[in-house]
Amino acid sequence: MSVPIQVNPVFAVPFGETQLTSCERLNRELEALFLSRENDEYRNPTPTHIPQEEMFESRFNLFSWTEPCVQELRSFVLGSIVQTVREASSLAPTDLARLQLHNHTWFHITRYAGSFVAHNHPLASWSAVYCVRAGERSAAQPRSGVLRFMDPRSGADAYLDIANRNLRPAFALGRREVLLEAGQLIVFPSFVFHEVGPFYGGDTRITVATNCWFT
Amino acid sequence: MTAPAAPAIAPIFATPFAVVPLAEMAPLHAALQPLFASRAADSYRDPDMPRDPLCFRGREDLFEWQSEPVEELRRRLLAGICGAVMGANAYTETEFDALRIQARARLTIVHPDGCVPASSAPMASWSACYCVAAPSSASGRPGSGALRLYAVRDGTMFIDAANWRLREPFSRTHYLWAPVPGRMAVFPAALVHEIALNRTREDLVLVTVRVRFAHAGQVALPPW
Repeated sequence: MSVPIQVNPVFAVPFGETQLTSCERLNRELEALFLSRENDEYRNPTPTHIPQEEMFESRFNLFSWTEPCVQELRSFVLGSIVQTVREASSLAPTDLARLQLHNHTWFHITRYAGSFVAHNHPLASWSAVYCVRAGERSAAQPRSGVLRFMDPRSGADAYLDIANRNLRPAFALGRREVLLEAGQLIVFPSFVFHEVGPFYGGDTRITVATNCWFT
Repeated sequence: MTAPAAPAIAPIFATPFAVVPLAEMAPLHAALQPLFASRAADSYRDPDMPRDPLCFRGREDLFEWQSEPVEELRRRLLAGICGAVMGANAYTETEFDALRIQARARLTIVHPDGCVPASSAPMASWSACYCVAAPSSASGRPGSGALRLYAVRDGTMFIDAANWRLREPFSRTHYLWAPVPGRMAVFPAALVHEIALNRTREDLVLVTVRVRFAHAGQVALPPW
C-alpha cells in the first residue's frame, strides 16, 4: 500500500541565473575596455593561483571604475545578487535594503588552452559570474571553457546504484556544468568549489566575476 | 616564568597518499606502448565518456585484455596497490591476504593541450594512477600534466592571517603529483582529482585503476 510522502530538497544549494537582454552594446563596450587594459597596470598583482599566460586576471576593483559601461554592468550584477539573496533567504526586503553590499570584482580574458583551477571564495557569502563574450565554440571540444561546479556533498556519489544514479535535477549527485552565453549571469554561494575547463576557441573568452559580502 | 612547552601538533583526519615505485618497468613499457598506440582508437574508446580529440580514455576493461604484457602489468600494479592499501590499513599481513580484490583499469592518453576533467571514482575504495610515459617537464609550467588532488574536504569559508598559510601536512591547497614513468600514485577513490592540462608537445600515457576489496566471507560486492 502506498502512502503519501512529501520529498523536500534539504541541504539545497541556491543558484540564481538570469540573462541580460539586449546585452550586445554593453558587452561590446566592456570587451573593448577590457582588452585595452589587458596590461600590467591593471593585472592582479597578488594572484591566489599559479598565473597562466593564457589567462589575464585584472585587479579586484573593477566595479570602482567610473566608465558608464562598467557602472551599467555593476548595477545589473549587484542587483541580481540582491534579488537572489532576497529569494533564497528569509530577510525582509527592508532589512536587506539597509545592509551594505561590499564586493571584489574582476575580469578574466582567456585564450586558447587557458583554464582556472577549482577554488571557492572564503570570506564572501555570494559569488557571481557574468559572461561578456563566450568565445568561439569548438565542435571537437563541446565543453570548451565550461564553468564547472563541484557537488558540495563530498563523497555522496561514491556509492551509486540504480536508485540514486538518476535523481531529479534538484537532488542529483555530481558536478554541474554551465556553458555560459554572452549576457548570462550565474549567482551562487561562495562556498561552492568551481573551476573553468580549458578554453579551446581561437579567440577570447571574457567573463566578469564578483564576490560579495554584506554588513 | 618558564616558557610553555612546545605543543604536540598532530595531523588528524589525514588522507593517505602513496607513491609506489615499480622496479625495472622499462622492458614492459616497451612491450606495452605499441599495443596501447594501436588501441588508442574509437573501437576501444569508452563510449560513456565524452569524445575528446585531445584525450583518449579507453574502456574500463584493460585488465581483461588477452595480452601477456597487460597481464604482467596487471599483476605488478595490483601488487603495488595492495602494498599501499595494506600500509594504510590496520590489517595484519595474514588478514590482508585473505581479502579478495576487484579492479577495473583503463588506458588514458593525454595529448598536448588535453586534460582529464575532475571526478572521483565511485563504487571503489582506492584509486591508482600509473604512469607509462610522461613528457619531459614543461619549463615554467609546474602543473602541466599533473595529477591534481582537490583539497575540498576542509573548505572552510573563514580565512584569516593564522590559517591561510598552514604548513604541510595541514595546508589546504590542492596536491600535485607529477607522473613519472614506472611510478604509481594510490589514493582514496572518493578524492576528487583530475589530470591537469598537458602543456608539452608530447603524450602522457597513464593507466588508471579503481579497486575494492571484499572480506573473505563476503558473498558479493555491489555491481560496479
